[in-house]
Amino acid sequence: MGYGDEGFTIYDLLLWAEGLGITLWIFILSTVIGLVLGVLIGLVRYYHITILGKLLMIVSESLKNSPVIVQLFLVYFGIPALLQIDMTPNMAAVITLSGNTAAFVAVIVISSIESIDRRQLEAARSFALPKLVILRHIIFPQSLSIAMPMLVSLAINQLQVTSLVSVIGVIDLTRVGDIVNQRTFEPFIVWPLIGLTYFILAKLIAIVGMRLERKFSAYRLVGEL
Amino acid sequence: MLDLASITEYVPAFLDGFIITAEVSILSILGSFILGILIALMRVSSNRFLNYTSLVYVDLFRNIPFIVLIFFGYYGLPEIGVYMDAFWTGCLVLSIAVGAYVGETIRAGILSVEKGILEAARSFGFSKFQIYAKIILPIALTISVRPLGSVFINLILTTSILSSITLNELTGVSKVIASTTFRPFEVYVFLVIFYGLLTFMISALISLWHRHLNRYLGEEAS
Repeated sequence: MGYGDEGFTIYDLLLWAEGLGITLWIFILSTVIGLVLGVLIGLVRYYHITILGKLLMIVSESLKNSPVIVQLFLVYFGIPALLQIDMTPNMAAVITLSGNTAAFVAVIVISSIESIDRRQLEAARSFALPKLVILRHIIFPQSLSIAMPMLVSLAINQLQVTSLVSVIGVIDLTRVGDIVNQRTFEPFIVWPLIGLTYFILAKLIAIVGMRLERKFSAYRLVGEL
Repeated sequence: MLDLASITEYVPAFLDGFIITAEVSILSILGSFILGILIALMRVSSNRFLNYTSLVYVDLFRNIPFIVLIFFGYYGLPEIGVYMDAFWTGCLVLSIAVGAYVGETIRAGILSVEKGILEAARSFGFSKFQIYAKIILPIALTISVRPLGSVFINLILTTSILSSITLNELTGVSKVIASTTFRPFEVYVFLVIFYGLLTFMISALISLWHRHLNRYLGEEAS
C-alpha cells in the first residue's frame, strides 16, 4: 500500500466531527457578534451621529464590496504585521466574519427601520415619548419582523462564507475535507459528503429561520392596523 | 514607510493578475448567463421533470459553499479523466454555481412579466417559442438588469477563491507580493480598496444601463 492509498479510517469521522464543531462555533460566534455590532452601526447611522457614522459607512461599504478571502488575509497576515501582535487563525476568522456580518446587518437594520411608517414615529414624538421608548416599543418590534427574512438569508449565506476560513489554516469542515482528500485521494466521496453536511446545516438554519419569521411576523399586524 | 519605487516594481505582476481575474469573470459571466436562462426556463416550465431537476439544481448550488465545489472540481475532474487547468476549472465551476443564482433572478423577472402581455401574444397566434424568445425573455431580462448585475458583481468577488486552487489572479498575485515585500497590511488594504472601486464602478454602470433600458417602464422599475 503506497502513500495516499490508505482508505478511510474511523479517525476521519472524528476529524469530520471536529471540523463540524469548529465551523459551527465560528458561525455562531461571528453571527452573534456581527448582529450586535451591526445593530449598533445601524443605529449610529440612523441617528446621524455624524463623523462616526460616515467612518463606519466607509468601513462597512468596503467590507461588503471586497472578497472575504482578502479580508481574512488582511486580518490574519496584515494586522499582526502592522501592530506586531500574535493572531491565531481562529481569532482572525472570528474577527473577520464578525465584521463582515456586521456590515450586512447594518444595511438590513437601516432599511427595515426606514420601512416603518413615518406617521407612527411622528405620532409617538407628538406624545413626547422618550427616544428610547420609541426605539424599544415602536421601532424595534416592527423592524425586527421586517428584517427577519433578510437576516435568515444572511445567516445561510454567512454559513457558506465560514468555509473560506480554511484558507488561513482554520481546521473547519472544508479544511478537514481537504486533509482527508489529500490522504485518501477520494474526491468523489470526500467532497460530496462535505457538501452534503453544509447543505443539511443550511436547511436547518432555514427551518429555524422560518419559525422565527412566523413568530415575529405577529408584530407586523400592529403596523397594518 | 511606503516606498514608491518598490511599488512600481510590482505593478506588472498585479496587472497580470487583474487580466486573469477579468478573463475568468467575463467567461464565467457568459457561462452562468447561458446556464441561468436554461435553468429559469426549466423552472417556469410546466414539465414536471424539468421543473423538479432545475429546482434541485438551484437548491444544491445555492446551499453548498463555492470553495467546496471548486475543490471537488479541481481534484475530482482528473479522476474521471477530464484534465483542465485551474483557469478552466474555475470558469466551469463558477459558471455552474453562479448559474443557479442567475436562474433564480431571471425566473423572478419572468414571473413579473404582466399576464396581459402573454394573453395578447397568444391571441396574435405566436408560437410558444416565439412568445418566450421574442417577448417574455427580453422583458424579463430588461427588468432584471440590476439584480443580475449584483449577482455578477458577486461572481467577480468570488473569483478570488480561485487563488486557493493555485490560480494567480488578483488575490493570488497579491499573496505572492505580500510575502515577498513583507508588507501584507499595505498590500491587502490596497487590494480591498481595488476590489471596492472595481465593483463600485461596475455597479454604477449597471445602474445607468438599467435605468436607460427601463426608461419607458415608469417609476417602479427605475
